[in-house]
Amino acid sequence: MRVYWEIAKRALSRQLTYRTATLAGLATNFYFGLLRAAVMAALYGARAQVDGISLQAAITYTGLAQSLIAVISLLGWFEVMRSINKGEISSDLLRPIGYFKFWLAQDLGKAAAQLALRGIPLMLGYALFFDILLPQTLWHWLAVFLALGLAVLLSFSWRFLVNLVGFWVTDATSIGRVVYIFSWFLSGFLMPLRFFPDWFVRLCYLTPFPHTINTIVEIYLGVLTPGQMLRALLLQLAWFVGLTLACSWVLRRGIRHLVIQGG
Amino acid sequence: MFFGASEFDITKAQAHNDATKRLSQVVIRVHDLHKYFQVPIRQRGRFSALRSLLVRRHRLVKAVNGVSFQIGRGELVGYLGPNGAGKSTTIKMLTGLLVPTHGEISVNGRIPWKQREEHVKSLGAVFGFRSTLWWDLPVIESLELLRYIYDVPLARFKDNLREFRKILEMDAFINTPVRSLSLGQRVRADVCAALLHDPSLLFLDEPTIGLDVVAKERIRQFILHANRQRGTTVLLTTHDLSDVEKMCQRVMIIDRGKLLYDGQLESLRQRFGGKRELVVELVDEEDQISIEGAIVTSRQGAQVMFQFDRDQISASELIQRISSNYRIRDLSVREPDLEATIRRIYEQRLLEDAV
Amino acid sequence: MKALRLYLWLVLIQVRSQMQYRVGFLLETLSVALGSIISFVTLALVLQKFEGIAGWSLGEVAFLFALVELSFGLMDMIFSGFDPDYFAAHTRQGTLDQYLLRPVSLTLQIFGSQFILRRLGRIFQGTLILVYAVQLVNIEWTVGKILYLPLVIAGMVLFFGGLFMLGATITFWTVERIEAVNILTYGGTELMSYPMTIYQDWMRRFFTYIVPAIFLNYYPSLYFLDRPDPFNMPFVVRFIAPVVGLGVFLAAYVFWRFGVRYYQSTGS
Repeated sequence: MRVYWEIAKRALSRQLTYRTATLAGLATNFYFGLLRAAVMAALYGARAQVDGISLQAAITYTGLAQSLIAVISLLGWFEVMRSINKGEISSDLLRPIGYFKFWLAQDLGKAAAQLALRGIPLMLGYALFFDILLPQTLWHWLAVFLALGLAVLLSFSWRFLVNLVGFWVTDATSIGRVVYIFSWFLSGFLMPLRFFPDWFVRLCYLTPFPHTINTIVEIYLGVLTPGQMLRALLLQLAWFVGLTLACSWVLRRGIRHLVIQGG
Repeated sequence: MFFGASEFDITKAQAHNDATKRLSQVVIRVHDLHKYFQVPIRQRGRFSALRSLLVRRHRLVKAVNGVSFQIGRGELVGYLGPNGAGKSTTIKMLTGLLVPTHGEISVNGRIPWKQREEHVKSLGAVFGFRSTLWWDLPVIESLELLRYIYDVPLARFKDNLREFRKILEMDAFINTPVRSLSLGQRVRADVCAALLHDPSLLFLDEPTIGLDVVAKERIRQFILHANRQRGTTVLLTTHDLSDVEKMCQRVMIIDRGKLLYDGQLESLRQRFGGKRELVVELVDEEDQISIEGAIVTSRQGAQVMFQFDRDQISASELIQRISSNYRIRDLSVREPDLEATIRRIYEQRLLEDAV
Repeated sequence: MKALRLYLWLVLIQVRSQMQYRVGFLLETLSVALGSIISFVTLALVLQKFEGIAGWSLGEVAFLFALVELSFGLMDMIFSGFDPDYFAAHTRQGTLDQYLLRPVSLTLQIFGSQFILRRLGRIFQGTLILVYAVQLVNIEWTVGKILYLPLVIAGMVLFFGGLFMLGATITFWTVERIEAVNILTYGGTELMSYPMTIYQDWMRRFFTYIVPAIFLNYYPSLYFLDRPDPFNMPFVVRFIAPVVGLGVFLAAYVFWRFGVRYYQSTGS
């Protein structure tokens, strides 16, 4: 267990060294947040509330969505498939640590760094520009961070699964790109899912993606009842477990494929 | 110093003679060339990133620091120096890729960076580890595109290609995309591409780096061919001294931005080669061996190694002395190898004042 | 003439080598198109729900959106070589030298060094949405409008191309690409997809006087859609899109030349 802790710590401190990139990323997120907030305000016009979301909540949402993309790595991640395609996986597999856990530890370290460097500063910056909402009770705060943690785990398992395509396809990045586009659309990153027609939202919830951004947002904004909140968290957990099981099954088959075909 | 005054005068006179001969047809004229770089200093300690964002401190690196030389038409010159000595910087300035900080360069009567497009028409360049060909194109198509870029008349292109294909043995891979070539094949293709437009000048930066012996030899043959048959002036940087030994008469040595030596390879050897060695295998193992004018540096059974100074005693005289005392089965004279010679020059900076 | 032929030749090489990896090419084209479709579908669903934005109907916003998508897609293909993401690799690895050793204009060679065909996905998508938008809003086409439309697109291609060139040139100093330039390019397309009235004053002023994005899509669209100008600028600003685009491009080109000279004086 200790080794994974060390790996995560390394990944975190490595992220901390990319200062200019972080600053630029922050600026980009902030800019897009401002744009989306302006769009939101214009959409609402004179309306006080839409689908249980006030304008203030909607603007808070635009900030949340921008803070979360880097933490949850929503725009895509290709490292594992590149390592498989380049054959570096063979040396990774020689290490006496679990392949899935090795990458998970790195991802968690990275996510922690992104939260500290981009997620939280962005929300603080947002608070200067807009009158944003905060979670109402301590329980909401706790639930938000719990949901965030689960979202990071779930997102990781999903991305890892996509990356494993690399075992069977030599240039898997193009496939990954197509798949990731769906995940950001269905996660509620572009608009709160509540704004969409019911049939579409139900369709979204058949996939793991809304359990990343949309769930966190709804808990944060307090639009869920305690029962719904608990259910949302349990669903996140279930998806994480399910996807992780899928990862380990596919990974085993992939390694067998690699051994037989010879990378 | 260890060499005699008379010999020094001879080399000097010879160099002068060569210089006057060259002056009539100088193609590269470099005078008091300087190139300085500003290298940012990495700051340490607290808030170092922030501080370096606000105030950048720089260190001035003098990559080339007052170099002068001239190269005449048809010369084949080796340009040597350790990593970071200023070789590539010089070549980049000669090819017009870099603007000097100070000093004058004239190549074919032009100032390279001022008339870049005109200038590069008359030169070919090969940078060993980097291809200038199109990655996904078969070699032949890259060459055809270069013909268009350099405006080479079709007949001339065909003649050259026929000739180069033969010498470089390119037939086997001329239709292969560059990305699938081996390093040796790729360098051959690059060298061919660099000469297709009949440049009067050829710059080679580490052309044989990473190649096997056979491929190296083929490249060398081709460079010599271009130099001798076509009169192409060649300036070559390399780490491989056998390149220099097999191709160049003249060498220039640079270190820390300053030219340490400029002259014939042979006189470099004579002046700084140090002591020669004679390896003798005796018929019988002797307990005590001593010969006047030479010292024994090592012994292995019947094999004895002598070191001697060519100014003090000639090899034949030494052999005579040995054979009059001992019975010799076999012998060989070893020239000091060039690498050791040049290492001595760098380490002891023997030439700093001499130039 | 030779320059044009050489450019076409270089582009052809790019296209041919991209076609060698057919599956990858198709998937990437698909992913580019998909990204564009999805942005639009989201926009359309939301606009339908909210019955337009700031007095603009779905069709009118779709017109703004499509015009930018189409132009940016075109630019992204033509100016691929200057895409800071790709260009930064040149300055980092010093591969620019090989272009400088050839007796042809460096700018031309950079134009010919990349031509990313999969951007066709975005162009195709933009055209489709443009057709859809025109159906929705019933534009009264006049000869002037028909003639002006391609000029507006050309203006935007030059505008975004200039921004790419600017981003590429900056890497001569920074070596690494500067993500902040994305705010102007990718962020610019997002900004220009909505009517400019929705932004706060300081933001609109920035995109009027510092980066003149407002003249490239918003004002020409006011003309195409016969809408009044809420900012009371002279009527003629509806027609300056090509001039502004060309101006931005030329300014970027001058900066690019300056950057190349700087690169030659410092090396890599």
